[in-house]
Amino acid sequence: MDFYYGMAQLIGVHTLLGLSAYVVLLTGQVSMAQAGFFAIGAYLGGMLTVLAGLHIVPAMLLAAVASALVATVVGFPALRVKGLMLVVATLAFGEAVRIFWFNFDYQIAKGNIQVGPLGGEGFKQIRYFPENGWSTADVAIFIWAWVIAAMVALWWMDRSRVGSVLRAVGEDELAAQSVGINLTAVKVSAMGIGGFIAGLGGAIYAHYTTHIEHLNFGVVLATFAIAYPILGGLSSVIGVLLAVIFIQGFLVEVLRFMGDWRNLLFGALIVLAMNVRPDGLFDARATRALKRLLGGRDA
Amino acid sequence: MADYWWDVIDPIQSVLDGMMFGSIYALIGIGFTLIFGVMHKINLAYAAASIGGAYASLVAFQILSAPALVVFLCAAAASGVIGYIVYICCFRFIPEHLPLATLMASVGMLILIDEVVVHATAGMPEPYPAMFDDVMIDISPFWIRGDLLMIFALSVVAMLILLYVLYRTRLGIATRAVAQQPSAAQLCGIGQQQTNAVTFVITGALGGLAGAMVGASVGILSPLLALPLTVKGLVVTVIGGLGSIPGAIVAGILVGGFENVFQYFRGVTERDIYVMLLLFVFLTFRPQGLFGRISTRD
Repeated sequence: MDFYYGMAQLIGVHTLLGLSAYVVLLTGQVSMAQAGFFAIGAYLGGMLTVLAGLHIVPAMLLAAVASALVATVVGFPALRVKGLMLVVATLAFGEAVRIFWFNFDYQIAKGNIQVGPLGGEGFKQIRYFPENGWSTADVAIFIWAWVIAAMVALWWMDRSRVGSVLRAVGEDELAAQSVGINLTAVKVSAMGIGGFIAGLGGAIYAHYTTHIEHLNFGVVLATFAIAYPILGGLSSVIGVLLAVIFIQGFLVEVLRFMGDWRNLLFGALIVLAMNVRPDGLFDARATRALKRLLGGRDA
Repeated sequence: MADYWWDVIDPIQSVLDGMMFGSIYALIGIGFTLIFGVMHKINLAYAAASIGGAYASLVAFQILSAPALVVFLCAAAASGVIGYIVYICCFRFIPEHLPLATLMASVGMLILIDEVVVHATAGMPEPYPAMFDDVMIDISPFWIRGDLLMIFALSVVAMLILLYVLYRTRLGIATRAVAQQPSAAQLCGIGQQQTNAVTFVITGALGGLAGAMVGASVGILSPLLALPLTVKGLVVTVIGGLGSIPGAIVAGILVGGFENVFQYFRGVTERDIYVMLLLFVFLTFRPQGLFGRISTRD
């Protein structure tokens, strides 16, 4: 049973990461910095519970706010560039964050052991959950409470005026600007919201793995972050969740029996998926079909 | 005064070494820039394909024990073929108005190429041949490593050939025409698909040479080289100005020297932070890059 709880935790955390990239992608910006925000959330969240002794919820919120602030600051220079330039700028930022933690030492003595991040060795002993007697099931439920809260919030946002504004900027900046949308405000807030969600995800991630190191937050994680919403089709938050289940559940777990060949197939399947369904596995038509299936009216 | 002079020599030496190594970054940057110029798309699988081509050339080295120069050329040829495969798999059939799909497909291809390499070599680094690696040229007070000089020379030759192809042949005219105005080029009877495919093969060959140079200067090949090379190549592309070949060359050499001098002062773990800072300085103060023009179309 623990295996399935572990699965649920992993899928939950990656869904948060995917959602953070989803918000930014709605405005047409490909941000490879999500892994960086995730890392900031992870390290700060861990430091707040381990070094400052905070409860997990305020620690997560504080870490998320810090990530959001950093994301907002990154958002401003990012506005000067578009397309490939933005991809490279955000990629470089994410890498810079990773290397920053690689060179970051801050340890204090707690009892008879040293705790805190230690450069290349990473940040060990983030033992908030075991110390407070949380079972795997408790942690899984805790994670999913956050995931569902984030998904509901984004779902509601998508249906509201805010969602239309974000998508308008994503579809055509010039047209959006000409109807009086403030591009700077929209893009920076999207980055900020994305940073907040990524920070939340990172803080949970640090606590359920109990050990983080800079290598966890490299380019690969950044590409996963944008892969989820793109594969999910960018039409709704459900797509992100389905893409995470498809990648982490199906491609990683179900294909485990294939051993070494799994990773090979992994890349090939992504290439195939984008050729067969370039709009994403779960595109706008699929969303409408789902709505009809659930008895709702066509949006 | 004399002591002061000696403190300067080592940093200058590392800048020189770095600049010669930077010619590899320049080659990768040219590849990104050319594909961007022609298709307005990013091929994230490019550096992985370059390393993949270098790996393929190991067959020539290990089984036929060919001389180093032949191995390098094999790497270029193999990478050209991989470039064509990447084009077919990730760019040919995906509609042009969906840049995210091609981006993602090329990421999938990056993973695929990396994994094929890991699978074929069981993840172990492989030794790679070099030329003149026992030569040290003494131009007092500096030393020039023979293998680095060789890399620099080969890169320059490759760049000159590329510039000749681009500016002196019909193929190059076609490529530049498609880059400038795709529909007008098509009206003049230039096949867009063929031109794109040829661009991928040419840049692939260039990348394969770069991959071989990496192997020759480091002495080993490892699949772990692909991602850092991708990041550096993209940084070089942006610093040089998107679509600008001279920009990519200058930026590659600049980044190479810059990173090596910071490696000398701050160590290998911190040096990339300063490369990223250099990029941010450019993005803030000169977002169009060294030689780029501010794009008015789009």
